[in-house]
Amino acid sequence: MKILVTSAMSAMGRTVAGALKKHDVKLTDLTGGCTGGIVANNLNHDAETDRLVDGVEAIIHTGYEGQEGDASSLLDYYSRRTYNLLLAASNARVDRCIYISTLKLLQDYEENLTVTERWRSHPPSNDPALLACHIGELVCKEFARDRLIKVATLRLGWPIVTGQRSKATATGETAALATDDLATVLNAALGAKIEQWQDVHVQSPAPGQRYLLHAAQKLFSFPVPPPTPPGQPVARKGARR
Amino acid sequence: MKVLLLGGNGMLGPWVVKAMADRHQLRVTDVNEPRKGFKHEFRNLDASNLDAVLRAAEGMDCIVNLSVLRHDRKLAWDVSTRGNYNMMAAAVEHGIRRVVNTGPHFQLSGPQYEDWDFGLNPDMPPQPGTRLYALSKAMGQEICRVFAERHDLYVITLLYYNMKLPGSLAAPLEKQVNYHDDMTPFSLAWTDCGEAVRCAVEVELSKLPSRCETFHTFSDIPHDKFKSDKIQRVLGFRPRYHLEAMWNKGYKTT
Ligand SMILES: NC(=O)c1ccc[n+]([C@@H]2O[C@H](COP(=O)([O-])OP(=O)(O)OC[C@H]3O[C@@H](n4cnc5c(N)ncnc54)[C@H](O)[C@@H]3O)[C@@H](O)[C@H]2O)c1
Repeated sequence: MKILVTSAMSAMGRTVAGALKKHDVKLTDLTGGCTGGIVANNLNHDAETDRLVDGVEAIIHTGYEGQEGDASSLLDYYSRRTYNLLLAASNARVDRCIYISTLKLLQDYEENLTVTERWRSHPPSNDPALLACHIGELVCKEFARDRLIKVATLRLGWPIVTGQRSKATATGETAALATDDLATVLNAALGAKIEQWQDVHVQSPAPGQRYLLHAAQKLFSFPVPPPTPPGQPVARKGARR
Repeated sequence: MKVLLLGGNGMLGPWVVKAMADRHQLRVTDVNEPRKGFKHEFRNLDASNLDAVLRAAEGMDCIVNLSVLRHDRKLAWDVSTRGNYNMMAAAVEHGIRRVVNTGPHFQLSGPQYEDWDFGLNPDMPPQPGTRLYALSKAMGQEICRVFAERHDLYVITLLYYNMKLPGSLAAPLEKQVNYHDDMTPFSLAWTDCGEAVRCAVEVELSKLPSRCETFHTFSDIPHDKFKSDKIQRVLGFRPRYHLEAMWNKGYKTT
């Protein structure tokens, strides 16, 4: 599958790209310092952005911690440039956009609450990266609403820990995400049958984990349920709850 | 009250100035020059420049945002989205507790609502769709909402759709007036558009149901496509001009 990853110079962009070993990945970032095969592109409303998405089947748009800067430049990136990217992508009939967001948008909810995708996010006004990430989610959502492209917003847990799930668990953080789990979800999100639009919580499963993963379970069978102990009836797929 | 107007030199600005000039101290700003004979304080100000907005808002009690740039693929976001961030940051910085924002109806009721439904009201969750003007304004509004959720300040948003001159009932883009031929079911005379802003500037904050309230700004009309009762109920807005010649075939126009 031919995939475009944005903000490829950032740590988040590199983590995402690193998870896509089986795909034909095209990397892009804003001009200024792009090195090592990363296509420099400012996501303006122009032919260059059209060329960037030409032939691409899916876009992974790095929404949180993809860019650095002040409120002005972050809001510009996640409103205007995101609009240009998605418009070019929908004109080029790109099937889907995976928007990389963060569960920090839901961090105001106390840990004891059963926070699923049905809980409203509460972006802060004094953290431009989170506010801009939220605006990016909404811009993408309107493209899905107008049925121009499918959008899955992956809200990732934190901290992101390199390696296996056990490393995330070892941090003791209740919303930690191991890059191995991220890779599983990303690859599933690229191939799975998805709805026109969905929010998906993504964190590593752990005892006392902070966020519930209903959408990831339904759409991507993530996390794989633990094997049924001997003697217990096997849960049937699709059985009524 | 000391009121800062952003984008005060456009079509709506003069009607707002007319409605408020005798009652408030106005600081009108825009990127262009004021008309000849303009009698109020005026500053040249680009709403997308944070520092300039911060400076202009100093000492004000209220900010009214009338700025818009509809079709340019960059400026639309600069003015309608980032401009709103700047306005809200300035309100927080200077302890300004009242912000009046304006925008088009479709920043809330995009085609997925308007083409399908009736009884559309200003408390629905926004569905602007991907039209540039609607979406850039909707994102600006969302920034206002987030600030109102987080800070002790109030955002009153007035949505407009179609404005008509009270004398002729002509709308800006219509070549002639078609009496008895129906009209956009969300229309208002320009004079009343300015009055609505005055009501929003003067309403007691304690009368607002929440810190972020949106209003459909038009007069009583029978279509029930959009609802306008809230602005009368909450802001006490009473439109002076009615538009019956447009929608009542029995209404005499001569
Ligand atoms: N006129 C209509 O028919 C209509 C309909 C629906 C909604 N509205 C809303 O009413 C409000 C006022 O609109 P209007 O009809 O007066 O529009 P307008 O285009 O006549 O005026 C907008 C003003 O904003 C100014 N502006 C542009 N860029 C700016 C910048 N960077 N900084 C500061 N000011 C800038 C322009 O110079 C102009 O004077 C807007 O919020 C608009 O969305 C108007």
